[in-house]
Order: sequence, then C-alpha cells, then structure tokens
Amino acid sequence: MFDKIAGRVLIPVGVVVTGFLVVCFALLYSAIKEVVLRDSIAQANNLAGIVLKSTRFAMLKSDRDTNDAIIRNIAEQKGVQHVRIFNKKGVISFSSKPGEAGQQVDIKAEGCVICHAGKEPITTLGPMQKARTFKNVQGMTIMAITAPIYNEPECANAACHFHPAEQLVLGTLDIGLSQQTTLESLASIRGEMYLFAILTLLLTMAGVITVLKMIVLAPMQKLIDYTEISQQQLDLPHPDDLPYELDKIAKSYYLMKERLGRLGSGPDEPRER
Amino acid sequence: MEQAAKEKDIPLAPGAERSASLRAALLAEIGEARRQANRGLYALSLFLMVSTLAWREFWFLPPPERLVASLGPPPRPMVISLVLVVYTFSAIVLSLSRMMSGIKHKSSFCHVGYLAIFFLFYYCAGGLADNYWAVFGAGFTILCVESYRIWNFCSATIHRKHEQLAYLERTGHLPPEETEHLDGHE
Repeated sequence: MFDKIAGRVLIPVGVVVTGFLVVCFALLYSAIKEVVLRDSIAQANNLAGIVLKSTRFAMLKSDRDTNDAIIRNIAEQKGVQHVRIFNKKGVISFSSKPGEAGQQVDIKAEGCVICHAGKEPITTLGPMQKARTFKNVQGMTIMAITAPIYNEPECANAACHFHPAEQLVLGTLDIGLSQQTTLESLASIRGEMYLFAILTLLLTMAGVITVLKMIVLAPMQKLIDYTEISQQQLDLPHPDDLPYELDKIAKSYYLMKERLGRLGSGPDEPRER
Repeated sequence: MEQAAKEKDIPLAPGAERSASLRAALLAEIGEARRQANRGLYALSLFLMVSTLAWREFWFLPPPERLVASLGPPPRPMVISLVLVVYTFSAIVLSLSRMMSGIKHKSSFCHVGYLAIFFLFYYCAGGLADNYWAVFGAGFTILCVESYRIWNFCSATIHRKHEQLAYLERTGHLPPEETEHLDGHE
C-alpha cells in the first residue's frame, strides 16, 4: 500500500483531515456543552427564585398548608424531581415528597457543604456555586439548586413568628430538576457532529481520490501502458494527450527508444551527438 | 587461521581501502536511518503513556485547587482550547512542509512535552474531563503525521544508500553526485 502513489497520498491526507476534525469537533462540543449547562443552571436559578417568590407571602403569614400546596404543585411540573425547604438548623420544613418533612439533613451532605465547609457558613453564593449534579436512585442525572432564603425586614418585623434582624439566612430552598432533556439535546448534537465529521472525511477522501486519479494516476497508467506496448511495437508514436510533465517523460522515452532503435539497426549508421 | 592472519597483514591497495571505508560509511548510515525510522513511534508510545496518566486525572499530582493556590490561576478552558487549535494547525502544517521539502528533522518528542502541558493546563483549569479527547486527538494526529514523515524520510534514505552501495560494489566508487557528500562526511 505504501509503495503506490495513492497510498502515499491518501494516508497522510486521511490522518490529517480526520485528526483535525476530531480536535475541532471535540473542542466545539465541549464549548457547546458548557454553554448549554450554564444556560440550564441560569434557568434553574430563575425557577428557584420563582419558587421563593411564590412561597414568600405564605411564609410571612406562617401558612403551612398554602406552602405545602405550592410546593406539591410545583413538584408536579414535568422535570421537577424534588422541592424542599430547610430551616436554619437543617431540618426539612416542607417537601414535595411525603414523609420527608421533619427530617434532619447532614451538614456535610453535598448540597450543604458548599456553605458549611468553614466554621462560619457562607451567606452568599454565585449562580454556578448554587448548582450541583448527581444521579438519583433510578440512575437519572439531576441538577439541584440550593438557594438561601434571606431575612428581610418583613420577616424580622412580622408579628406571627419572629426572626431576629441580625440573622442573615432563614433557611434554604433545594430544588432538583431532571437533566434528561438537556442530556438528550447534547447527545443529539454529538450525533450530528459525528455525522458531519464522517461526511466531511468521506467527501475529502473522495475529492482527493478523484483529483489524484484524474490528474496523476490515469495519465501515469497510460504512460506505463505506452512503455510496455512500445517494447513490442517499435514504431508506436508517443501518446499526445498526457499532462505537461508526463508528456515530457513520454517524449524523452520516445526519442531515446528511437535513437536506440537506430543504433541497433546497423553499425554503419552514423551516431548522433 | 594462519592464512587469515596473513591476509590481514596484507595492506589493501589505496582504491580498495577507499572503497571499503566508503562501504563502511554507507552501512553505518543505513543502520542509523533504520534506528531513526522508529523514533516517531517511540514518541507516539510516550504520548499514549502521558494520555493514560491524564485519563486517570493525574492521581499523583496535588488537587487543582492546591496547584492554583501556589501557581496562580490558569487561563480559562476556552482560551486553552483556542491555543490548542492554533498549535494543532501549526504543527500539522510544519510537519507537512517538512515532508514536502524533505527536511531532515529527526525528533518529534518536543510535541509530547507540549501536549503534556496542555493536559496539565486543562487539569488546573478544571476542564480536563471535557477536553481530554481534543488533546488526545491533536496529539495522536500530530504524532502519526510526524511518525509517517520520519519513517518516509528514513525509508527514502535507506533506499538511496542501498542503491549507492550496489553502485559502489559494481564500480568501486560512488555515483559522481554523491562522492562529494560522503567525502565531506568522512
């Protein structure tokens, strides 16, 4: 394979085109994935904000039934896996899953440790820090947002249940969203990229093979045929439809053969100089 | 044995001595070219080893946070990716131009170093998992092209030297255009 011109041309072209496409598509996919996940986190943060705003009035009124109803209704929405509200001590006050309310969570758990890693818990988090990804028991990828519920003047001054004004965070909202749709979209983008890469590679190789065959290999085969036939047929004229370089070789071969023929025809003939 | 010793003592004629030394020089060059033909594959193997370490997320290194704390923040993964594309493109073009001009450049080990640095930058920037295949693809492509170039160059050299050797054994001297080169080599 390496002895033939086609092999020597196609192997480096194939390796270079395939390799560069793989690098570009891998980097492009990584950039797209980052953008999609960042957008997904931004949307989840917005949703967490909506949930907090929806429950705010019921919390101010200390209306547990309304809060429970709001959280249950939100959790019924497609893609929402869980909604929980924790109090300051890490006890689940409200949950979309029956039976979870009243349970204490470990402060070292993944969603809590972001703020509670140090002695003093962090009170503000960036949108990306609020997000965490994990797999649930069904093997589904879930992205959860842990949003702090801040103390506000209305909360500190409320007559129903008093929070001291110096307490910055009253609790946290934890909302889990299925990543199934996002992952399916990413898989679809990946599949399309594989398809484009294969098509580009096939087209490049087909283009190279066609041009190579048309410009180099076919005229060369003609030249090879000519040299082989001319060994038996001495008066064969040189082919006239070869490209410039091969035509020069054919002409040189023709002249050389002619001179050798003249030399071989008789010793009395004068030699050309 | 005695006969052989006597033959050894017989001084070679100047022409034969020169021919023998040229033959030895040609054989040495063929041996050298044979050794160099595999250098691209050695570089590729070394890169595969580095890639294996990167695949296992450089378990023997301190965590990225500690490295960032002591060395300072790395560039963002997007910037590293842009540099990787430019590097891959330049390295392939350079290798192809060397192939086209028939320039003798024996080694491609420096590329293994550059690629290991890309792996380390991604590791520190926290983007190794997402960009592993990009660096692997870049390295594999560059080193395959380099291996092919080195192997091709060495094969051509070996072929040429064999032809010269055959000519030398036939005529007792090198082809006219090569005499100057080997005289200079000696």
